[in-house]
Amino acid sequence: MAESFFLLAATFLPLLLAPVAYIIGRRAGVNATTWFSFGVLAISTGLLFIPTLALHGGQSAYVEKYAWGQFGDFGLRLDGLSLPFALIIYILCTVLALYSKPYMVHKIMEDLPGHGGHGNPTSGHSSETHITEGSQAMTTVQVQKHVNNQMGLYFALYLAFSMGMFGTVLATNLIEFYVFFELMLVPSFFLVAFYGYGARKRIALMFFFWTHAGAVVLLLSLLAMGFFAGGFDFDTIRANASLIPADWLPLIVFGIVAGLGVKLAAFLLHIWLPYAHAEAPTPVSALLSPAMIGIGAYGLLRLWMELLTGSYEQYSIYINMWGLATMIYGGAMALMQDDIKKVLAYSSISQMGYILFGLGSESILGISGSTMLYVTHGLGKAVLFMMAGSIILQTGTRSMAKLGGLAGKMPYTAVIAMIGALTIMGVPPTSGFMAEWVMFNGVLQTSANDGDWFRSAMFGFGIMATILSSAYILWMIKRVFFGKIPEELAHVKDSNRYITVTMGVFAALSLAIGIYPDAFLNPITGYIDGMFADYPGVLDAPQTSGVELASDPEGEGLVISESVVPAAPDSAVEEGGGH
Amino acid sequence: MVEGFNESINVWLIWMLPFIGAAVVPAIAKGSRRARDYIAVGFALASAISAATLIPLGLAGHEVHSQVPWISALGLKAGVLADPLAILMTNIVAWISFLIMVYSVGYMHGDRDLTRYWFFMLFFIGSMQLIVISDNLLMVFFGWEGVGLASYALIGFWYYDRKKDYVGKEGHYAGGIPMWTSPTHAGMKAFLMTKAGDVMMLAGMFLIFMHAGTFGFKELIADQTWAETLAQQNLLVPAAVLLFGGAVGKSAQFPLNEWLLEAMTGPTAVSALIHAATMVKAGVFLVARIGPLFFALSALNTSQFFEVVAWTGAITAFLLATQALVSPEIKKVLAYSTGSQIGYMMMGLGIAGISLNFADGYTAGFFHLMSHAMFKASLFMGAGALLHTVGSRFMTDMGGLRKHMPKTYIFMLLAALSLAGAPLFTSGFWSKDAIFAAVLESGYTYSMPLFIMAVVVAIMTAFYTFRMIGMAFFGRGSKHLEEMEHKGHHLHEVGPTMWVPFAILAVASIAIGVVGFVFEAQIHHLLSEYLGESFGIHGEEEEGGIQIAPEGDRTVFGLNPIAAAASVGAFGVGAALGFIFYIARKADPAVIGRNIVTRAIWKFLYNRWYLNTALYWGGVIGPLAIYRFIWRYFESTIIDGINPALQNSMAYMSKVVKAGQTGTTQTYLFVFAVGIMIILMLMFL
Repeated sequence: MAESFFLLAATFLPLLLAPVAYIIGRRAGVNATTWFSFGVLAISTGLLFIPTLALHGGQSAYVEKYAWGQFGDFGLRLDGLSLPFALIIYILCTVLALYSKPYMVHKIMEDLPGHGGHGNPTSGHSSETHITEGSQAMTTVQVQKHVNNQMGLYFALYLAFSMGMFGTVLATNLIEFYVFFELMLVPSFFLVAFYGYGARKRIALMFFFWTHAGAVVLLLSLLAMGFFAGGFDFDTIRANASLIPADWLPLIVFGIVAGLGVKLAAFLLHIWLPYAHAEAPTPVSALLSPAMIGIGAYGLLRLWMELLTGSYEQYSIYINMWGLATMIYGGAMALMQDDIKKVLAYSSISQMGYILFGLGSESILGISGSTMLYVTHGLGKAVLFMMAGSIILQTGTRSMAKLGGLAGKMPYTAVIAMIGALTIMGVPPTSGFMAEWVMFNGVLQTSANDGDWFRSAMFGFGIMATILSSAYILWMIKRVFFGKIPEELAHVKDSNRYITVTMGVFAALSLAIGIYPDAFLNPITGYIDGMFADYPGVLDAPQTSGVELASDPEGEGLVISESVVPAAPDSAVEEGGGH
Repeated sequence: MVEGFNESINVWLIWMLPFIGAAVVPAIAKGSRRARDYIAVGFALASAISAATLIPLGLAGHEVHSQVPWISALGLKAGVLADPLAILMTNIVAWISFLIMVYSVGYMHGDRDLTRYWFFMLFFIGSMQLIVISDNLLMVFFGWEGVGLASYALIGFWYYDRKKDYVGKEGHYAGGIPMWTSPTHAGMKAFLMTKAGDVMMLAGMFLIFMHAGTFGFKELIADQTWAETLAQQNLLVPAAVLLFGGAVGKSAQFPLNEWLLEAMTGPTAVSALIHAATMVKAGVFLVARIGPLFFALSALNTSQFFEVVAWTGAITAFLLATQALVSPEIKKVLAYSTGSQIGYMMMGLGIAGISLNFADGYTAGFFHLMSHAMFKASLFMGAGALLHTVGSRFMTDMGGLRKHMPKTYIFMLLAALSLAGAPLFTSGFWSKDAIFAAVLESGYTYSMPLFIMAVVVAIMTAFYTFRMIGMAFFGRGSKHLEEMEHKGHHLHEVGPTMWVPFAILAVASIAIGVVGFVFEAQIHHLLSEYLGESFGIHGEEEEGGIQIAPEGDRTVFGLNPIAAAASVGAFGVGAALGFIFYIARKADPAVIGRNIVTRAIWKFLYNRWYLNTALYWGGVIGPLAIYRFIWRYFESTIIDGINPALQNSMAYMSKVVKAGQTGTTQTYLFVFAVGIMIILMLMFL
């Protein structure tokens, strides 16, 4: 038994209070349920900060464990790897709860028969929406009641969704991981099916089907791992990884990678993503895209690279290649879109490619950079999806052909969206740059160190692909915010504070992390360094060659993350750097 | 000696103040517009004063180096390094920025988006100072992208894309590519093209970081084992060339030169500051920063790097000078000229590394940077004054303006003389001459071709400069001007907030020219000491190498007779031609159109050597066509086809299975019997 229950509380508080959010929505209305959900998530985020501080205080990992019958332990573990994921997930969920209010009220009203007449944000195929919702126009009181009900339900699902994502990254047990992994799928399915655009039921089903198919493949691998290693706890498996027969190992790795590849929407497995992200209600898109699909990357790190470290070097190059294909393909397809949300959806595919690219880099820097990319993509893409939402709210369209010149009309949205855009493009001083340079540096390090032409070429293509990313983002910004303003948009106003302030929070975070990345980068590199401490094939971060130029004014010197590394022996740091 | 943050606060403030200003300005704008303008200019001034406090230190050859912890995960520190090179540069940037900010008050008066303008101008100054004053490549890259961002935002400042803010002649196609561009398009083009350079620079930085574990300039020179390791892997020169790639992009050198022309869609004050005086010099400054480092490593065969730099510069100088000959737009003439002159600087810095006396070429390149920053900023501001009055960017819409705008005329002429390199009394003459001399004396195998190219460029420079002056200020007023006057617009001189800044710079460039000689010697002395102290690079006598340079009295007081004769001659020829055609108007330039050969050359130059065309076909239209093909036949057909295919196959399978469920017992029994028989046969056979 654990001595403290911070993580347990942080994980299950949203789930337990989800019905309450529904009831509050019904009884007390939209504002109450919004702020209630926000409060619940804010408290949970606060609870997360307590163990986070313990980590920064030098503890290697913070674990809460509870007995869980024959599966082993039900544990929640916060360490250098899960910390960035957990933090970003809850920060996104908390802030987006507020953003949801104006957006979802608008969306629910729009779906009402007789109220959706003004401006139809879907690109022309929302017939289903109007037929299914009943046939008679409602009175104002009924409308109010309907909205309250719907918002209550929305927030109940939203809270459950948050908890599913959060639990996944804290899990310490294969079965537990799988349960949370599926738990986040169910509410997100309903969120798309109830509140989406277009053929939403069909798309929700498609989303569910594909990610579930991926999850099942993953489950097979997890079960095989568990049976061979004699337990489902991560610790057991890491200790007994050598017990897994060599013939089975490739199959298991394949299952994990393919299963999580669907979640990540890697090239060829991305079938569901453009639809789900484009047609989900925008706050949910802003969670699906940055927070949820990146959990695939977390899974790869945790389930494959950490538990089966021995097989990493053998297959890393394929992950690298797959990442490159994904990032170029996603970027190229993003250029072809007219729908803002589709651009962003393909951009997410491309960004997941970056993450895969780094994960396959065989260097501490590359892998750390990928983890940072999750953080930064979370912030940047959330801002951009929120921008799309803001534009849908104010103009009623998301087709870029009908937009233009909005910078003057929606200055706050434009400025903040630009910061989000820079984050995705990886331009300093946003966090995007911090993540990308560390990641690409790692990739180049491996290729130069091995003298491998193939890897060098991939590095070249990879870093050139950042131009592609800049191109689709800038082109989108140009088509939305610059140029002549269409006449029918002449009277557009900027969104209200629920939208601009929440966007601003993420933009500010992105800038802060970009200028001073230590809070994230330190635990990440420390942890990943420790993960591969016994594997000299995975290159360490370069260290200063030892010339101390002069006395350090603050007396802090070169402190290299002494804290979070779980038993990273100093000798390993030196030996891995041998060129 | 590394100092703390507090002891060297004045150095940190140089780049921090403009950023603070950028943050403050939008807040103040709500209160008072006038206060906003003053405060924006005030922050630029404060930063400049902060830079000026370093001048005594720089002249004494001292340096300030200060560091604070930054990214502890990788052991990286943030720091500033004010050595003589940086002190010179930071003052140039700071004071020219300040003057242009003053000019902007007049030029941008009444623009509805002035807050955004001030924000990005201050953001730019801060980023530029960050490039200059940082002590490590990573922070330089922060500034590098910062200036790129400011450039993007200010090129597309008039984002509503009015026709009058375009660049290029409407309806002008070259090889199927439209050659006129909207501001927002131009901004995007600039950003993406410089990005191509930036990724190269990043790759170069990574290669160095990989073995050095640091980005710091001081650390890199203190311990050179990284360079040896890189050299063993044959990666040292590639790393240097990749770094130079960033400079190529930012300084609009060939082959990444095309964005600079379109960048002229920005307000003219922006063109003066970013696309003439400072940002495009960032590339030159980067080479000046890392050049000595690689020269100090010349034991590892780094001379190829310098050859690349020198030839890139020479090719660009030539390429853009030829295009400047035929451009009808005044800002574009100046833009071509900027790229071409930066080519000179690159040539100077490049030749330094191949020659025996590094300091000569190095000083020449840097001196040209200084003098060019002054006269080109002045010319751009003058051009802005013309645009302000005339309301057209075409020189064909001007003419005879010297009577209406005498001050603009005089000061532009002074600056133009410097650009053209009028002998003995202009700074442009001395700095250009220094480059010529450095090339001649380098002892480089191919110094002659380089020298000839340089001289040809000088002829062309003098010609297009006088063409510009002639077309704007001489001859009869154009139809456009007549119409304007007819409509009651009085053609008048611009106000003092506008003409004083460019007058100061024009006069300064002449003043430096008058004492050019001593001035050059001073800079040479200063930079030689800097190179000696920081990098251990001394003159050729200490180099211990074999003396290949011409024997005897090579220089008379630092003046190489051949070089001086060539630069005087080049000025004479170019200026005379320009004078005959455009000022005295003795000959009509229309003759070019009558001869088929000259017309073809004209067209080739006017279409910018078809480089822009190639860029668009290869870099935009081609890839987009491929992507569209993939989109249509792979993503939309195959990938999107998976779902319906799955659905249909399920439906089909259920149909097949359903067909089996006939409900007749006979059929079931029959199938059952056949099955048993098959199994039995399999078992026994």
